[in-house]
Amino acid sequence: MYKTLSEIISVCEKSGKPLWLVTAEEEAAEQAKTTDEIFEEMRKMYSAMKYTLENYDPDLRSRSGMTGTAGAAYEKFAAENKSLVGEYLDMVIAAAIKTAESNACMKRIVAAPTAGSCGVLPAVLISYEKFKSADEDNMVKALFVAGCIGEIIAKNASLSGAQGGCQAEIGSAAAMAAAALAFLEGGDNECIASAAALTMKNMLGLTCDPVAGLVEVPCVKRNVSGAVNAVSYAQLSLAGIRSVIPADEVIDSMRRIGRLLPECLRETGMDGLAVTPTACEISERLK
Amino acid sequence: MNMTLFDVVGPVMVGPSSSHTAGAVRIGYIAGKLLGEKIKKAQINLYGSFFATGRGHGTDRALMAGLLGFRPDDERIPSSFALAAEQGIDFKFGEAMLREGHPNSAQIILDGIYGTHIEVIGESIGGGRINISHLDGQQAGFSGEYPTLIVYNLDQPGRVAEVTAMLAGRGINIVSMHLQRSNRGGNAVMVIECDQEVPVGICTWFEGHPGIEKVKYLNPEEYSNV
Repeated sequence: MYKTLSEIISVCEKSGKPLWLVTAEEEAAEQAKTTDEIFEEMRKMYSAMKYTLENYDPDLRSRSGMTGTAGAAYEKFAAENKSLVGEYLDMVIAAAIKTAESNACMKRIVAAPTAGSCGVLPAVLISYEKFKSADEDNMVKALFVAGCIGEIIAKNASLSGAQGGCQAEIGSAAAMAAAALAFLEGGDNECIASAAALTMKNMLGLTCDPVAGLVEVPCVKRNVSGAVNAVSYAQLSLAGIRSVIPADEVIDSMRRIGRLLPECLRETGMDGLAVTPTACEISERLK
Repeated sequence: MNMTLFDVVGPVMVGPSSSHTAGAVRIGYIAGKLLGEKIKKAQINLYGSFFATGRGHGTDRALMAGLLGFRPDDERIPSSFALAAEQGIDFKFGEAMLREGHPNSAQIILDGIYGTHIEVIGESIGGGRINISHLDGQQAGFSGEYPTLIVYNLDQPGRVAEVTAMLAGRGINIVSMHLQRSNRGGNAVMVIECDQEVPVGICTWFEGHPGIEKVKYLNPEEYSNV
């Protein structure tokens, strides 16, 4: 398995193969399957993401009562022409909350990379497919690009909030989504890497301090921040604006910052938002 | 943790948490398979973070869903209590008093309709992966990701050699192996994870073999409704 993003990109340059294909071929070799089989397996992941959004229940509430109905509320707001932003970003915001809410309400989702950050990739990608009437095969290729970034992060840092804070979950999801979007918009590998680097850089240091230990507050709405960040920095990268710090070095920074984060801010519920008076009241009520 | 591409983009699962929900389904599933018959009674005890945040994460429903034979992506997971009640399963939840446990642990005590009794302690170790740490009071240590052979044997010289020689003879490669005995000359449990599936014939042969009391075989590919 490739250790760094620069290593996998140099393999792409030497072989003349696109990043998504090198990633797919590597997984095919790992699983002793054909590249076509791996491609279809990834298509299933994409279909499962769509399934979550198509089956969103606007009336559903989580068992704690903290989560639900926000996705529908945002869609209503956007439909009433009250939105400041364009149609694509409205779709991204709504889809991020809808998917994350579905997760909190025990619906079926795709953990990408984690269940808590499951709204980011579908928000950016499924909205793109609809907005651009894009070809589904291209969307699946974009998921391989996202997966490539996620694998490099898993190898060199972490994808777990308990280990690295939320930068490892929503931060990683956002970097993956930005890379995928840069690919879809025709960015080369340098542009893809820079999109991931810019996005991750701007989510460094995020803590994991959810209320009552549940994947709800602030996780659900933070999926919006991950998705919108991904779009912003993919745009910057597509405009030719490059990250000064290369992606591999940003990922290593995320690892070091994760280790420096005090344990009380890594999914232990011992500080941050989790110990606010309101959070304590909610935790008490749920006992 | 060693992650593959589909651990990063995937798995497909019912939320909200890979450790507290998806992992819990798998622990329940493996416990149900280990019982090997329909469940009459289930006592499920939660430990650590499973006990503290389990309700909000649906850990209780997830464990029950696993006991019913559901996969982690089965949309019936939230309604597992009602489905279990429909099947006449008598189930209760409590707090596990473990001496030292992984923070995400569940102790599952099952009685089957034909009288089999088992006790399993499972740990959810992250990303939906699990470790069965104890089986019937003995240390075990297997993931449920591989075909797993569990041999209850007497603590006598040569029993391990006989079992492994039989596997070797059939070209079955061992991934991991764990052996623990209660006391010298007493009962022992051998847990062997294999790369290949173990044919039914081998399990039956083991069962009739002197010094071997019983054999359980777990095939992770066989997800189905119990």
